[in-house]
Amino acid sequence: MAFFILRRIGVMALTALCLTFVVFFLTNLAPNLEKLAKTQGNARMSDAEVVSWLDRNGYGGPLVVRYGEWLGVVPGWLREDPITGEWRGRCLARGQDPAEAARFCGLLQGDLGYSTVSATEVSSIIGGRLQLTGILMFWAFAVMVPSALLVGVLAGMREGSRTDRTLSTFSIASTATPEYVSGVIFIVLLASSQIGISPLLVEWGWLEGGTLFFGSARSAMDGVTFWNFTLPVMTIALYGMGYIARMTRASMAEVMMAQYIRTARLKGVKFSNIVMKHALRNALIAPFTVIMLQFPWLLNGVVIVETLFNYKGFGWTLVQAASNNDIELLLACSIVAVFVVLVTQLMSDIGYVFLNPRIRIS
Amino acid sequence: MTTTTTAHLATHPAAEMYAREYKTGQLSRREFLVRSTALGLSAAAAYSLIGLSPAMAQRATPAKGGTLRIQMGILALKDPRTYDWSEMGNVSRGLVEYLIEYNRDGTFSGVLLEGWEANADATQYTLRLRPGVTWNNGDAFTAADVAANFAAWCDTTVEGNSMAARMGGLVDADTGQARAGGIVVVDDLTVQINLPAPDITLVPGMADYPAAIMHRDLIGTNPLDHGVGTGAYRFTDYQVGISARLERNPDHSYWGDAYLDEVVFVDLGTDPAAWFAGAEAGEFDMTYQTVGEFVDLFSAVGWDRSDVTTGATVVVRPNQLNAPYDNVEVRRAILEAVDLSVVLELGMNGQGTVGENHHVCPIHPEYAELPPMVVDKAAAQARLAAAGHADANFTLVSLDDGLTRFTCDAVAAQMRDAGMTVTREVLPGSTFWNDWLNYPFSATEWNHRELGVQILNLAYRSGVAWNETAFANAEFDSLLDQANGIQDANARREVMARLQRIMQEEAVTIVPYWRSLFRHYRPGVVNADMHPKFEINIHHLGLSA
Repeated sequence: MAFFILRRIGVMALTALCLTFVVFFLTNLAPNLEKLAKTQGNARMSDAEVVSWLDRNGYGGPLVVRYGEWLGVVPGWLREDPITGEWRGRCLARGQDPAEAARFCGLLQGDLGYSTVSATEVSSIIGGRLQLTGILMFWAFAVMVPSALLVGVLAGMREGSRTDRTLSTFSIASTATPEYVSGVIFIVLLASSQIGISPLLVEWGWLEGGTLFFGSARSAMDGVTFWNFTLPVMTIALYGMGYIARMTRASMAEVMMAQYIRTARLKGVKFSNIVMKHALRNALIAPFTVIMLQFPWLLNGVVIVETLFNYKGFGWTLVQAASNNDIELLLACSIVAVFVVLVTQLMSDIGYVFLNPRIRIS
Repeated sequence: MTTTTTAHLATHPAAEMYAREYKTGQLSRREFLVRSTALGLSAAAAYSLIGLSPAMAQRATPAKGGTLRIQMGILALKDPRTYDWSEMGNVSRGLVEYLIEYNRDGTFSGVLLEGWEANADATQYTLRLRPGVTWNNGDAFTAADVAANFAAWCDTTVEGNSMAARMGGLVDADTGQARAGGIVVVDDLTVQINLPAPDITLVPGMADYPAAIMHRDLIGTNPLDHGVGTGAYRFTDYQVGISARLERNPDHSYWGDAYLDEVVFVDLGTDPAAWFAGAEAGEFDMTYQTVGEFVDLFSAVGWDRSDVTTGATVVVRPNQLNAPYDNVEVRRAILEAVDLSVVLELGMNGQGTVGENHHVCPIHPEYAELPPMVVDKAAAQARLAAAGHADANFTLVSLDDGLTRFTCDAVAAQMRDAGMTVTREVLPGSTFWNDWLNYPFSATEWNHRELGVQILNLAYRSGVAWNETAFANAEFDSLLDQANGIQDANARREVMARLQRIMQEEAVTIVPYWRSLFRHYRPGVVNADMHPKFEINIHHLGLSA
């Protein structure tokens, strides 16, 4: 088991290395660097000036060397400005003496670099944003998983029944509606004082002006309430819920057809006992993997939902970093994404072993 | 805020001349107030010269305490004299204050100055500092601070220092620094500014948002880095693109009145639909500005509306350093193809008046009426073909927001109607703003300025920091110098007519409309009225008792 985990961590490190290199390669393509030079410096720069700007700001060397600097295995660049005589370097704070600065400052040293748009260290940005997204994901999971399992189990208990058809229709509809559609529909229906449900409620006197829910989750960054967080959470949860429910239903239906369930029924065991005591554990093995695999999908979802609802977490930061060509912030976001995906995969593999004794690791 | 009227001049020879002009109908009331208060008269004295009781908007006194949240973009702060967006001034105004403040009704009043006077030909200004003002680090605010700031404003070697253009003749063209003897410290509370030629724009220049007064030892720094200022507030949090938080500084005794305990600036992006969703969700109490169709929507949900007519606009300008815009015929063809009334209608719901492709607005005192420009799409295409650019592809860059995006879309559509090939490029906020001066063909929002010559000095004189059109014309520059020295509105108008005509003939830029500006706030917010220059002074703001 320990060997398995070690091997998976090794694979994870290798994958992270490859993926960040791909992102690094793409963000450092010549046109992207030229765009960066022109936005940070001056748009009228000639090609020669672009090259000299890139060189002066540490984007000049070979790609692999710069990737090494970012990783922290190659010493950070250091050069004296020919005009002002000031030392500039990757590891140098402004005005710092080069003799005092660290030689290496990359990912391995815990230095994520500098965000050009926000004019601050990436590490000081990304922690708070991840925390915000963590809160959003927690609530999305807290809503999504129990309700999806409930719907799936209810639907799978008696395949083909009226309950099954109704719940299946609902799950298919919810999983077929992407977040950017359901989010907008939610806002229109529940978070507008002009149309949808809120004006009706005000008219009936059940609501004192304003809207039922909030169409902007910015205030949730300061404190989560039922009213400001329901819509973003529901938008994410609904999409994943239909999918997990469908998987649970299929798994449940299969288990309910198994020989041992038939035997139990012939013995006269109560239907509720069959479901609770015999079927459920076996039926939940497949959904567990699916739930774990929902994490990467959820990262997709938060990008859309955070932008739509103005909730400034990880997804919003990723969009801003990409649209503003903020290379080091984007790389840090990729690292985090890779980490989340691979860790959840690992958890899913390990959890699977505990749930299903037939699977042996190593 | 306590405004001491006794420290102002009771009258001034030039102001009396303006009063005569006002009475004969040669000056508008706004223009009269702008010019006479710029000479050092108090608003009350100015009103009395023209026989009116001071009907100026007296600020209400709000209750003490409370928190106010304002929707506004949060950009990375920097050295104030290099500020290029009024949002930067607004967010730091609670900490670093200004000498003079421009009011909604067109008057100027002192903030860190108690009063100021100009001599008869406006070549010498005497600035009298407000006594008893201290920095929040305990130092006294003295004439040395003011002199150091003036010297810093005149430093043309600082990249992006737009104050140098506002200081005009005070800058020595040879050294690129303040003129010797230009800034004289008379005593601890008096500074004298000596100009080589009459300049009527010095006072408006001191009231503009890059003119924040920094501590004499901290010039050239970002106020966020040290938090030293004269204002009543201090930063507790600042996150670019997200929010900025200021609280009343308990360790500092502020010279005036400040009402709110806490002010939070909230950045909801550049999409006005997101602002509206935020308003409905109770995310903030006041907008920085409200644009387009959202003006009616905010009113419909019960927010109070405040509007002001201004010389603010969006210029859709080619940059003459980039081909094919270096060819005047190409620029003329573009101007000829665009019907400005359509741009007004589509770009901003008709909330303004039609422009004339020169940057002097009818509400400016020296505005001269010119014959209307002809729109002829067929002639435009013929002109373009004659210039040899019939198949040119014009890429029009704009910010991803409501106003400039729709305006550019309308301009692009008009150009396509005339048979031109136009590509639209829409950039996100931070990227666009990093480089607004240099795009070959793009749109820029310009704020209102008090006098017509001011914008010409800032943006169209050869080689100045904000010359985004790269327009360089010796005749234009010398006429502008001439106009800067003419105090009489009618005499100046003759020169202005020629300046305006040069802008049209050289097809410098499209100036499609003059905007009315709107702001909305929740009922109960006090002194939040829209300002012609988007200014928000958090010291004045408050909540009703």
